[in-house]
Amino acid sequence: MDVVVLVKLALDTGQLRVSEGKVDVESTPLKVSDIDRNAVEEAVRVRERVGGLVHVVSILKYGPIQRRLQEAEGLLREVLAMGADDAYLVADEALIGSDQSVTAKVIASIIRRLGKYDLVIAGEATVDGYTGQVGPRVAAELGIPVVTYVRELRIEGSRVVAKRDLEDAVQTVETPLPALVTVTREINTPRIPTLLQIRAAVRKPIGKLTLADLGLTLKPTIKVESAVPMQVKRRGVVIREGTVDEKADRLVQALIQEGLLTPR
Amino acid sequence: MAMGVLVVGSIGDIGLVGLAQRFRGQDVHYLLTGQGDVVQLGRYGVSRVYQLTTGIDEYSFSETLTDLVNRGSYSIIITPVNRFYRTAVPMAAQRLSAPLLTDVIDVKPIDNELEVVLNSFGNRAQVTVKVTGRVLLMAPPARFKPSENPVNASIEPLQPRVVNVVKVVSTEGKAKGGVRIEDAELIVAVGRGFRRREDLKLAFELAEVLGAEVGCSRPIAADLKWLSEDHWIGLSGRRVRPRLYIAIGISGQPQHLAGMMESRTVVVINNDPNAPFFRNCDYGVVEDLYSFIPVLTRRLRDILKR
Repeated sequence: MDVVVLVKLALDTGQLRVSEGKVDVESTPLKVSDIDRNAVEEAVRVRERVGGLVHVVSILKYGPIQRRLQEAEGLLREVLAMGADDAYLVADEALIGSDQSVTAKVIASIIRRLGKYDLVIAGEATVDGYTGQVGPRVAAELGIPVVTYVRELRIEGSRVVAKRDLEDAVQTVETPLPALVTVTREINTPRIPTLLQIRAAVRKPIGKLTLADLGLTLKPTIKVESAVPMQVKRRGVVIREGTVDEKADRLVQALIQEGLLTPR
Repeated sequence: MAMGVLVVGSIGDIGLVGLAQRFRGQDVHYLLTGQGDVVQLGRYGVSRVYQLTTGIDEYSFSETLTDLVNRGSYSIIITPVNRFYRTAVPMAAQRLSAPLLTDVIDVKPIDNELEVVLNSFGNRAQVTVKVTGRVLLMAPPARFKPSENPVNASIEPLQPRVVNVVKVVSTEGKAKGGVRIEDAELIVAVGRGFRRREDLKLAFELAEVLGAEVGCSRPIAADLKWLSEDHWIGLSGRRVRPRLYIAIGISGQPQHLAGMMESRTVVVINNDPNAPFFRNCDYGVVEDLYSFIPVLTRRLRDILKR
């Protein structure tokens, strides 16, 4: 059974760089979107149970491309070390800042080129955009069923049986393969690769592609004008010294001064 | 720019009409799911209502929505945010080859372009995006307030296009803690600093004295299941905006911060002086919660006479 897993090289929003009051996207580091590690883990577990291959597909969304290529390759080695067999990275100017309809078309194009696939796994959303669109969009583009927010996954013959985590309920569903599922962080605990696996990952293939390689020309539909960091001014008063009682007193006094507590 | 606006949702999502009204001079139509008072929609200027009374799955909904958008040539489609819409709407957007912008704060039509302001980058930044052509917008309805502009709304029952690709085998309800943490004015939030489930009572006692609700970080609800998921604050949990947020034993990972950024005053209590949360607080106390919280609760009980 061949599994495709979608991995976003996301902006590390814990380390957003700011210059002149704007988010400096180009100098903010990337990381493997946390939930996508769960997606990779689940893909590897499926292969361990039923055999086959795990292909990683990733689209570079943040420039500058030349400088990001090495960073992207390093991050893809991390998921290859988790057990994926190979990776495809699409890096093209036309994809920087493009909207998800374009991302989904490119991903679907790579998946079709693979020829054989049974299951596509993605994270429920990425930690930077958190829009959760790409999974369902890719399914629509490929014309296959989608099952979102999966926290338990079983392959039964040519069907997938999944437990979906909804706001008020847990829904058990089944659908024929090929299908696309998006997983939540509750589905598993991603493995930490061993040193041996990290070394072995260096030799695994990463295919780098451009839109021309895929025979695609795509028109941008949106343009990002600016990104302004949330201006939350915090006082940052940290009470470190004193006894427990003294600390409690200082905190209570501060809350009274803020008008949050009214002594009776 | 000629554009019809289609709002999608139940009658409870009527707040989205407030966002639709920012497209001045445009007809606003409503795809109403379930029952609802059409006169109420007319009061806010909705001139046509398509009513979908049968419950359908996400796949069928995306097909039904795509058909309706094509039939009515709508250029702006506005939907609420939940896991149903987060599944159905992107599929419709892909069939329509249109962008979908989520967590929308504001829109400004300028000539034949549209400027959209949204929260992004893990709720750490406000991003401004320019769009030409058809676009789908997703936003929490409570963010907007429609103004009155009475018209006579016509109503048309909508026949869904039902496609059975995913079969629902069973559905079981989730345990609920009976809180609406997103509406709380005061929140005491707990994290992994608590060693045992029983110890949470320290936080519940503090919350009781303050009249606060108890929230939590992801591990407490999702991994340990010490509290039900309606207490969970964060990017994948609930977003809150209380007057006072007291975080106890929470380190302050970006995904948690994303859920409470809009709190007015933030207090952090943690025994680790290097906890990232201390860089995002108004008041911090470096202390062991087990010795500090009982003292704080007693002190507050004294001054609040509770």
